[in-house]
Amino acid sequence: MPATTIDPTKTRVLKELKHVRPLIGCRFDPSGRYLFASAEDDTIQRFDLLTGGKTALIGHQSWVRGLASVPVKNTPVVSHDNVPTSAIFRGVAAVHKPTVFTLLSGDYHGKLLWWNGADATPKPIKTVEAHDGWIRAVAVSPDGTMVATCGNDQLVKLWNTADGRPIRTFEGHTSHVYNVAFHPNGQRIVSADLKGNIRDWEITTGKLVRELDAKILHKYDTGFGADIGGIRGIAFNSAGTQLACIGITNVSNAFAGVGNPLVVLFDWNDGKPKQLKPKDAFQGTGWGVGIHESGIIIGAGGGGQGRIWFWNPADGTNTHTVNVPTNARDMAIHPDGAALALAGANGTSYLYTTTPTPAVSPSPAPAKKP
Amino acid sequence: MGSLRCRLLAAFNACLALFVAPVCAEESLHQRIDQKIAAGLANYDQLAAPLAGDAEFLRRITLDLTGRIPPAAETRAFLADKSSDKRTKLIDKLLASPEYARRMQEYFDVMLMDRRRDAKVPGAAWEEFLRTSFAANKPYDQLVREILSNDGADPKTRAAAKFFLERDLEPTIVTRDISRLFLGQNLQCAQCHDHPLVDDYHQEHFYGIQAFFNRAFLFPDAKDAKAVIAEKAEGEVSFISVFDPKKAQKSTPPAVPGWKPIGDPKLEKGKEYTMAPAKNVKPVPAYSRLSKLAAAITANENIAFRRTAANRLWAMMLGRGLVQPLDFDHSNNPPSHPQLMTMLADEFAGHHYDVKWLLREIALSSTYQRSSEGSPKSQNIPEHRYAVAILKPLSPEQIGYSMMQATGLTDVYRNELAKTLTEPTLQTKLAPNLGPFRQLYGAQPGEPEDGFASTLDQTLFVKHGNHVRNLIAPRTGSLVERAAKLAEPSLIAEELFLTVYSRLPADDERRELAELLRPAANRTNTLTEVVWAMLASAEFRFNH
Amino acid sequence: MKHCPYACHTSDHLVNRRLFLGGAAAGFAGLTNPAAARELAASQKRMLVIFLSGGVSQLETWDPKPNTDTGGPFRAISTSVPGVHISELLPLAAKRMHLLTLVRGINTAEDEHGRGATIMLTGRRTEPGLKYPEVGAVAAKLLNTTTPELPGHVQITPGGGSGFNKEDAAFLGPKFASVTLADGKPPADLPRPAILTTDADREREAFRQKLNAKFAQSRRSAQTEAYTESFEQASKVVAKANAFDASREDPKAADRYGRHDFGRHMLLARRLLEQGVSFVKVSHTNYDTHHENFDFHIEQLGEFDRPFSMLLDDLSDRGMLESTLVVVMSEFGRTPRINDRYGRDHWSKAWSVAMAGCGLKAGAVVGKTNANGTAVTDREVNGGHLFHTYFRALGLDPTKNFHPAGRPIPIADPKTSAITELLV
Repeated sequence: MPATTIDPTKTRVLKELKHVRPLIGCRFDPSGRYLFASAEDDTIQRFDLLTGGKTALIGHQSWVRGLASVPVKNTPVVSHDNVPTSAIFRGVAAVHKPTVFTLLSGDYHGKLLWWNGADATPKPIKTVEAHDGWIRAVAVSPDGTMVATCGNDQLVKLWNTADGRPIRTFEGHTSHVYNVAFHPNGQRIVSADLKGNIRDWEITTGKLVRELDAKILHKYDTGFGADIGGIRGIAFNSAGTQLACIGITNVSNAFAGVGNPLVVLFDWNDGKPKQLKPKDAFQGTGWGVGIHESGIIIGAGGGGQGRIWFWNPADGTNTHTVNVPTNARDMAIHPDGAALALAGANGTSYLYTTTPTPAVSPSPAPAKKP
Repeated sequence: MGSLRCRLLAAFNACLALFVAPVCAEESLHQRIDQKIAAGLANYDQLAAPLAGDAEFLRRITLDLTGRIPPAAETRAFLADKSSDKRTKLIDKLLASPEYARRMQEYFDVMLMDRRRDAKVPGAAWEEFLRTSFAANKPYDQLVREILSNDGADPKTRAAAKFFLERDLEPTIVTRDISRLFLGQNLQCAQCHDHPLVDDYHQEHFYGIQAFFNRAFLFPDAKDAKAVIAEKAEGEVSFISVFDPKKAQKSTPPAVPGWKPIGDPKLEKGKEYTMAPAKNVKPVPAYSRLSKLAAAITANENIAFRRTAANRLWAMMLGRGLVQPLDFDHSNNPPSHPQLMTMLADEFAGHHYDVKWLLREIALSSTYQRSSEGSPKSQNIPEHRYAVAILKPLSPEQIGYSMMQATGLTDVYRNELAKTLTEPTLQTKLAPNLGPFRQLYGAQPGEPEDGFASTLDQTLFVKHGNHVRNLIAPRTGSLVERAAKLAEPSLIAEELFLTVYSRLPADDERRELAELLRPAANRTNTLTEVVWAMLASAEFRFNH
Repeated sequence: MKHCPYACHTSDHLVNRRLFLGGAAAGFAGLTNPAAARELAASQKRMLVIFLSGGVSQLETWDPKPNTDTGGPFRAISTSVPGVHISELLPLAAKRMHLLTLVRGINTAEDEHGRGATIMLTGRRTEPGLKYPEVGAVAAKLLNTTTPELPGHVQITPGGGSGFNKEDAAFLGPKFASVTLADGKPPADLPRPAILTTDADREREAFRQKLNAKFAQSRRSAQTEAYTESFEQASKVVAKANAFDASREDPKAADRYGRHDFGRHMLLARRLLEQGVSFVKVSHTNYDTHHENFDFHIEQLGEFDRPFSMLLDDLSDRGMLESTLVVVMSEFGRTPRINDRYGRDHWSKAWSVAMAGCGLKAGAVVGKTNANGTAVTDREVNGGHLFHTYFRALGLDPTKNFHPAGRPIPIADPKTSAITELLV
């Protein structure tokens, strides 16, 4: 069972997973054994948290930020017994045998690639010219049968996971679509764009159900004559009662990135937004967001350096903040719920644990407290 | 060393002789000015224009000494005055007025600061320093010494350091401007080599001046608005002529061009500083080169200083320098009247650089008072023979104040102030209206104000701009309102011409105005158009 | 200029070649002859500078380095000139590469905005105590025109205030300084205000002329002449105010250029060039992308590519490109290194400028940078070389001198010379 409680104040680095080039995006596989991190050298790096191995996935010709994976066979059973000494933390202990899963990755040339994510050296097994221009996000439906992509062509597209056939295109955004997410009930899909417009679509009909307003995460900077903002990270809670969006607000200088990170948390039923702000006056962009099983909202981002913020779901206060030594350009919560990963601009993916349970790792690096 | 030094030495000797045995001592300077001017042109007396009429003289001297046209009431009074010495009395009255100090403050601010923006010394403090100096008739050499010796450290006198501070003590600029403004020699082209066109200007002259402050710097740094001038105890200027194939590196101690360099005293090792340099500490050297600058520039033997001082005051009054351009005094560009130049310079120095005295003598001369109306017989005479008074374009400040005076705004303010009316209280009200004139007619910050160009933006400002339109618009006590109340067209003509042109209208002008007013469609509108036309005319735009 | 009977000491600096900013236009009496005007129109040369403010990335425009450590995520695409590739962010410009000329080896060695702009606009580094005129002022002074009543030096800026500048002409004098059309709008005082009726304007002008005529009977100088004539000239400019109104262009053209500010400004540039303005600079803001370089370049170049390409097409179609020099410049380029905020910082050591038209070899590429764009490896040039090249392309000799205050100052920096291999 995934961890249902965490203690943010115990957050500490479990492992620094290093690559030579700046990282862009990161996601765990469904079992939680692997962390995939895309980099500015057009590769996707696969870090094996069980063995400590690192494998490069070669196939893209551009940068990748959209990553998602879907189990092909059985969903793995997570257990905390028999932890091998090679395991970095308890959450990966159960996964002795590789789970077969498909990794989907979308790049800035508009290509969507399929991989057997658990192969010794994964190769692209399918390529779809999915968008004109950047693919900015990739999501998988709760039942795993559908893949959603979105991008700079202002479109949201739905694909059949099994064979890559197009299922449906959602048209209507009037700016780059930055993110897409499936509602846990599998009936709806939401997409969010540069200007902070969020669209809630019915999957089976393609009908626009409603629009949500996160325009506070966008600004047209008249001095520079350019838009800044966009929904940089998006996540539902597992019950599907909340939708979190993260980005930048209060921008005073677009081209220096001077502004404050912000989470806009929507109540899914009535669509009402709530703002979750960092307690400190940190300047930068929120790049990733997730809602933990415990209900705690976790965001990550950065400007000159990085931060992880924890918000109390009851009153929206920023209860704890962790300093990260680099700009955190993406965040993923481990399926076990006991860890999270960041994609660092310095080429390192930082793996943090958030549980009070002692880690297995022999010498975890201490987390820096703000 | 060349001819400049020889010539200057000769002039110096001549000047000593002058003090020992003054020539024509019984004749005042203005008479001798006229003699020298007359001697500068064959048949001068026959060819020269007659003296200006009272109205022409009144407008000219009022603009020159107070920076604005006279109020209509003063014009009426002056024209009505029958006394024979009324011009002398007027000159004395104007020189004694607070408006004189304001005019000189503005003229010398532009001359010294080239309309730089205020970064390190507030404009108001600097203006007050200049204004009180001219009001007290501070000797000009003393004023310059105060400007060239202030390090900005004492808040009470910091304003005087503006010349250095707003130039960030930038060596090229300060050297250029000291030579240009106080020596009448633009040495900028002698920075990289001896001046290619002027034999008298040498590269070592440029660096001799620079050596006075090459050890000085702004402390803590030039970005600090409160920066002061600090100095080190070491450092030499070095220069290589770009024309020298051997690229020989030279140096010079501080020196005023043509004069003996000022060597540094030998100091015991370890005693170079009274306050040694350290981090965040303003060093104080035991011997300051900069402290020698003011005295060296204004020294009695430095004839270049008195020449350029006298020449600039002459140019302010007459519309061109005896040496022209003002910063191009050298043997191949002699003054139009060499003896007059020497005489003015020596007399000015001999009278302890008494600015009011020199201006008064110039104003009293027939040369100054000559009419600007040319005639066929004067048509081919070059202007530097002073046969006809030179038409001087009004300065940005003169245009602004004169438009305010002509349209009646100044009088409206006078009435508003009533019992509290003083020059400063009136100035406070006028100043905000001056901004657009400075902006449009003034040179760019840091650029010397020379030449005359009539640009489209200025013309459109007069033609279409709100500012001029609002000045003319009728209000209680304004010109259009006053004139509109008069019934008789001839009286209207008098009011308009006395107020805007500071003269009475001629008969044909009275007739023309009467014709314009006859349709009587809307007298206020017609008068608004007439006043605009007068303000936009050449007669208003120039001091004639 | 009329014969002046009294005390007229005409000096050259009062006689303008252009009517626009005052002075008499002695040199253009012949223009009343329509044939002479046509001949001049045919030979008239013009210059258009598109200034990508803030410093456009050479890697996202003219010198892409895809799939290197500095290349960023974008593709290089082929162009209408075989073998020449540019960034995929300029698809329309790529199709017009046969009209363009690229300089890829620029090293201006100045990473500060103001000083970088000075180098690119004056062809010289900042010097204490001496300001050099900007390229537009030099062009306005040296290029002939058929419409002296229009300004010779116009800049269209995205914002700020419209007005008449003085500084950018330096010693050439304010008559060659730029007129700023902020957001394409003429200076406020240019059009006749509604409150001033045409009748009132005519009447007061007539009275003004009468007063001046009387004054001139006995008092006249080159300065008074220049002053009184400036009003007649201003009236001619006011009558030509429509030249500044891009809304009078065909709406279809506005659609082609793009219904956004920069599209409108480029269409206005076309209109001004067609009307005989010698120099137009259009600024597009902003490219100072220390943060999110790639997102911002998508947006900004997406706005730039179409109007730029449409204007090239129009100049080419109308036969004007051979007499119009077009230059796309910035104050510098951007760092090959991508910073932690996906930004690129200031970089003057190896960057590019694109040119087109008058006097240039179309389709030529001069200069090279190394594999990841960090250094120039072939034909390194700086702002001085470019400045020489512009005026050589315009058929002028930039090694000649100006003579402010009698002192000779070379038009272009004598330490540099034209990139002759680019010249026809």
